[in-house]
Amino acid sequence: MSLHALLIAPFETLAFMRGALVACLALAVANGTVGTLLVLRRMSLDGDVLGHAVMPGAAVGFLYAGPSPTWLSLGGLISGLSVAALAGIGGGRQARHEAGLLAFYLMALSLGVLLVAWRGSNVDVMRVLFGTVLAIDRHALWQIAAAASVILLAIAALYRPLAVASLDPGFLRAAGARQPYGAVFASMVVLALVANFQSFGTLLAVGPMLLPAAAARCWDIGVAASMALAILFGFVASVAGLLVSYHGNVPSGPAIVLAAGALFAASLIGTRGLRLLATRLGGRE
Amino acid sequence: MLRRGKITDDRVALDKVTVCYGRRVALEAISGTFEPGSLTAVVGPNGAGKSTLLAAIANVIRPARGRIDRPPPRRLAYLPQQSAIDRDYPISVLELITLGGWQEYGAFRAPRAALRMRAAEAAASVGLSERLGRRIGQLSVGEMQRALFARLVLQDARVILLDEPFAAIDEQTRSVLLGQVTRWHRQGRTVVTVLHDLDLVRAWFPSTLVLARRSLAWGATKTALPAMAA
Repeated sequence: MSLHALLIAPFETLAFMRGALVACLALAVANGTVGTLLVLRRMSLDGDVLGHAVMPGAAVGFLYAGPSPTWLSLGGLISGLSVAALAGIGGGRQARHEAGLLAFYLMALSLGVLLVAWRGSNVDVMRVLFGTVLAIDRHALWQIAAAASVILLAIAALYRPLAVASLDPGFLRAAGARQPYGAVFASMVVLALVANFQSFGTLLAVGPMLLPAAAARCWDIGVAASMALAILFGFVASVAGLLVSYHGNVPSGPAIVLAAGALFAASLIGTRGLRLLATRLGGRE
Repeated sequence: MLRRGKITDDRVALDKVTVCYGRRVALEAISGTFEPGSLTAVVGPNGAGKSTLLAAIANVIRPARGRIDRPPPRRLAYLPQQSAIDRDYPISVLELITLGGWQEYGAFRAPRAALRMRAAEAAASVGLSERLGRRIGQLSVGEMQRALFARLVLQDARVILLDEPFAAIDEQTRSVLLGQVTRWHRQGRTVVTVLHDLDLVRAWFPSTLVLARRSLAWGATKTALPAMAA
C-alpha cells in the first residue's frame, strides 16, 4: 500500500472523512486553548462533570426535535451552563464536594440515557454517548467552527487574567479585580464541550479536550506554548485516529481519543526519560 | 518615595469585626486601628484568627458583622501563606514579580519595558537577580518568598499585609526579608505581619496585636506582648 493510499486517499475520496477531519481540526483549536487552562487550573474533574451536565439538556433537545444538531447543542448548552452556575464552577477554590459532583454526574448521565431511550432507539443512545464524528454535516460544521471561533477570541481577549487567576487566584481578587473571569471561563468550557458533543458524545467529549492539553503540560513549557502544543497534539490525534478507524474499520471517536491518550502516555514517559537522562549525563544542577 | 494622597488614607480601622466560617466564630468583635506608618505584629495561638484577620482586611473574606475601613485595593497589598500559589505553574520568576505591576498594565496590555526594569530592581533588592529566568518551580521555599516580596515591592502599596512571611525559610532569607519590612516601615507604609517567633516581634516590631479569637491586647509591643504569656 502506497503512502498516498495510507494517508491521503481516505480523505480524498470520502466526503464524510473530510467533514470529520475539518470538524476535528476546528475542535482541536478550541480544545487546546480551553483544555490547557483547565489542566493548569486543576479543574479536570469539573470538566468531566460539565461534560455530563450537557447530557440531560441534549436529551431534551433530542425528545423535542430528534437527532438535530441545533437542538441537541442548544439543550446541552442550557443544561451545561445552568449546572456550571448552580455548582459555582469557576467561582474560586472553595471546599470541594467531590462525592456530590460524582453523584450529579452519574445522575445526569442516567437521566440522559433514559430520556433518549424512551423515545429513540439503541442507535440514538449510542450516538449521544459516543458521538458520530463521521456524520458531521455542513450545518454542524458551521456550528463547530462558530463555537471554536468564539472560544478562541474570548480566551485571546482574557488570556492574561485567566492565566493569572489559575496561578494565584487570591492575587487578582486582592488586587481588586471584580470581573467574573471564572464564570466566563466556565462558560467557555461548556461551549467547547457542546461543540465536542456531536462528534464525541457525552462520555468522550472531555477526552479530546483534556488529553492533548495534559500531554502538552508534560513538556513543562510556558502557558501560550503549551496551548499551541496542545492544538498540535489535537491535530495529530485527529488525523491518526481517523486513519486508524478507516483502515482498521473501528469507531472513529474512540480511536481519536485513544490516539490522544497515546500522545499523553508518550509525553509522560518521554519527559520522564529525558529528565532521567539529563541528571545522569549532567549530574549537576 | 513620594507620598500620594492624605495620610489618613493609609490607616486600617476595624469596628466590632466578627468573622464566621459556617457556625464557627473565627474572630469576635475586633475593634481598633492600624495607624498610618505603623509596623504591627499579629500574634496568638493556632486558630486564633490571625490569618482570618488579614484576609478580612484584604477583603478576601467578608465579615459577618462590623465594618472595616481600608484603603482602596490598589493601595493595599496582601501576601497570604505560601500554599495558595501553584508552584508547578509554567511562569518565570521575572514574570511572577512583574505581576506586582498588574494595576499599571491591567488585564489587556503587556507590561512595559520600564516596569520590567523595576521588576529586575525589586528582584535585586531581595537578592534574586541570578534567578530571574528560572521557573518558579525551581526556586527553593526561601527564594520563592523573596520573589513574592519583590512582587510586593512592585505593587508599591501603602498598606502591606503579610501572613507568616518567615515560616519555614532559612536564616539568611529571613534577614533579607526583615530588611525589606523595615525599609517599608521607614518609607512610612503601614505594615501588618502575622508572626509566630516572639523574639522576632520584640526585636523588630514596635506594635503588637495579641489575638485569641478576640483581641487580648493591642498597642506598643512592650505592653501588649505579655498578654501572650497570660
